[in-house]
Amino acid sequence: MPELCAPTGRASGPEGGPVATLESVHATIAGTPVLRGVDLRLHAGEVVGLLGPNGSGKSTLLKVLAGMLRPVGGTCRVLGVDVGADGATGRAGRARVRTSITLIGHQPALYPQLELGENLRLVARLTGRDEAHAESALEAVGLAAARHRRADRCSHGMLRRADLARALLTEPQLLLLDEAHAGLDRDSVHLVQVLTDQVRARSGACVLVSHERDQLGPLVDRAVELVDGAPVPVAVVTT
Amino acid sequence: MTRTDRFLVPAAGVLVLAGLAAALAAPPDRLQGNLQRLMYVHVPAAWLAYLSFGLTLAASVAWLRRRHERWDRLAASAAEVGVFFTALTIALGAIWGKPVWGVWWTWDPRLVSTAVLLFVYLGYLALRRATVDPVQRARRSAVFGIVASVQIPVVHLSVLWWRSLHQPPTVLRPGDPTIDHVMLAALLLNVVAFTAVFAVALRLRMRLARQDAELAAATTALGRPLAGSAVTVPALTAAAVTAPAVKKTIGDRT
Amino acid sequence: MNGSAGPGEQVRALVGLHLALERRTGEALLVVAPFGAVALLLLPMAVGTDIPLLRQVGPGFYWLVVLLFGVMLTVRHTAEDGPGAQALLAQCGVDPVARAVARVVADAVLLLAFQLVLAPVAVALYDPRIPGWPWLFAVLPLVAIGLAALGALAGAVSSGAPGRALLGPLLVLPLAVPLLLGATQVIEAARYARAPWPWLLLMGLAELLALLATLLTAPSLEETE
Repeated sequence: MPELCAPTGRASGPEGGPVATLESVHATIAGTPVLRGVDLRLHAGEVVGLLGPNGSGKSTLLKVLAGMLRPVGGTCRVLGVDVGADGATGRAGRARVRTSITLIGHQPALYPQLELGENLRLVARLTGRDEAHAESALEAVGLAAARHRRADRCSHGMLRRADLARALLTEPQLLLLDEAHAGLDRDSVHLVQVLTDQVRARSGACVLVSHERDQLGPLVDRAVELVDGAPVPVAVVTT
Repeated sequence: MTRTDRFLVPAAGVLVLAGLAAALAAPPDRLQGNLQRLMYVHVPAAWLAYLSFGLTLAASVAWLRRRHERWDRLAASAAEVGVFFTALTIALGAIWGKPVWGVWWTWDPRLVSTAVLLFVYLGYLALRRATVDPVQRARRSAVFGIVASVQIPVVHLSVLWWRSLHQPPTVLRPGDPTIDHVMLAALLLNVVAFTAVFAVALRLRMRLARQDAELAAATTALGRPLAGSAVTVPALTAAAVTAPAVKKTIGDRT
Repeated sequence: MNGSAGPGEQVRALVGLHLALERRTGEALLVVAPFGAVALLLLPMAVGTDIPLLRQVGPGFYWLVVLLFGVMLTVRHTAEDGPGAQALLAQCGVDPVARAVARVVADAVLLLAFQLVLAPVAVALYDPRIPGWPWLFAVLPLVAIGLAALGALAGAVSSGAPGRALLGPLLVLPLAVPLLLGATQVIEAARYARAPWPWLLLMGLAELLALLATLLTAPSLEETE
């Protein structure tokens, strides 16, 4: 594990402490319980694989961690913020914490009508980053030549990589990758590795979701499997 | 600039100057005086509106038969130029109508049908803008371009079908034109001059459309071969530099 | 580096985005505005093309068209309503109030432009007598802001609903009655040399309520719970 070099001014937990702590977290989607008592601790500098069959609540857990879904029970602290709090305080906390988290989901977070470069520049402006970094982030994922291409004219794989560029740009403390391998070719999977290494280096944490235990192996430090809405540790080959 | 341009642009300039001189030299109208000189612009503009939309119709039919992009570009460019000349016709008509009829606008079949013509082709242009895929856009707008052209004869014959305030056709009618022959000559000269300007504008617009399409194709092509060919990490901040894998270049596939 | 941009910067970025998308698609000024102009052209054919009559009812037609088509403009399905855009805005930690403000500002600008495009058309078609026309400088922006605020509210409430384009106008139009009354009566008052202040006050009040409702409900409409 790389050494911890938490830069100052980041919304991470206490020095060297956990990035996220979940204790018996319950969450529902449209009234249906999906997470039933999840206990999970993400340490600084850790990359955790999240496995589980379809409908086991993997994406829901990512949403809770990203501050996009308020859990209905248990306690959930992410980067020092109680994301389960209700009312205005809870909303403000979730909004604040979201800027230090990047969730790369099934749905690429891009305006289809905007060019890839415009999308990244918009992200930079909205999150208070330097707009010039948008270009270098696109370059880094091999999309520099496609920066003037509208998102709705891009292939799924290109959109996935543009989404990964977003994670390069926003430099999250917590990186959440849903279906880490979906729509990515061999080279792009290396990009995931590069990204997780970066997050590690700034003593953040990553959660990678996948169906394939074997594919996750080389990327993660440990893995858990969601069974009936609760995680159990599983072994993966981590070389 | 092609050889045609080198000939066409100066020719259009000379013709416009000649047309202007003729319009000013022609005798004033017995009743309307100098106001009537607006005719030398109003009528050519209306003629060019017809011509443009006629071209859109022809090019739309040609596209549906041949499926060559050039026809689609011609249809689009002609419609755009046509919308401009229709708007110009209406605006000049309003300026002419205010002193002669006392109102900017009147509910006259010719005027109303011309306004409807304008809106039909504004709709045509909106349809083009709303469709992203080039082939889909060409197909849909070709069909609409044919349907829309139904409005052209309606406008022209409206003054005959409904007896109205606007004067009936004086030139394009069966029999001898009911216009002073000097005026007619000046008018025809202006029609020719404006048509030359129209040809220049249309060629420019088509060239622009072609360059637009080429640019779009180039952007699309650029993204593809590079996809996944190289992955490097940008040095965004000091924190990023400390990352263990600062630069990773992955096997170039190309 | 961490933490988002201030709300002011977010509003500026989003207003710029809305207007840039309008430049690209021309939905408001190249689609809705011509549609409104066609309505202005067709209305007299329904009631008879009698010039003195049109002179009298023309301003009313204008406001009605502005209201009906303006609502259409505000509740239209914009780029912001797509799932990708929603995800981007949520992930960038955009303050819901900043988002609502940006929507209101951008739509108000578009509505004002829409009114300014239609006004000369109405004048040319109906040739109305407007003795109190300078009041229009106050009335036009008031109508634009009021409609934009109501539209943003209706848009947020009906966001994601399948029949949104149909539902939105029904939600907004009844609430826009004070705007219609105010707009027509200010000019009417000027005709009889009365001060139009009460009507302007009514519009201002309706405006304020609409803005407050839009901004205060914005955080609660965020769907994280």
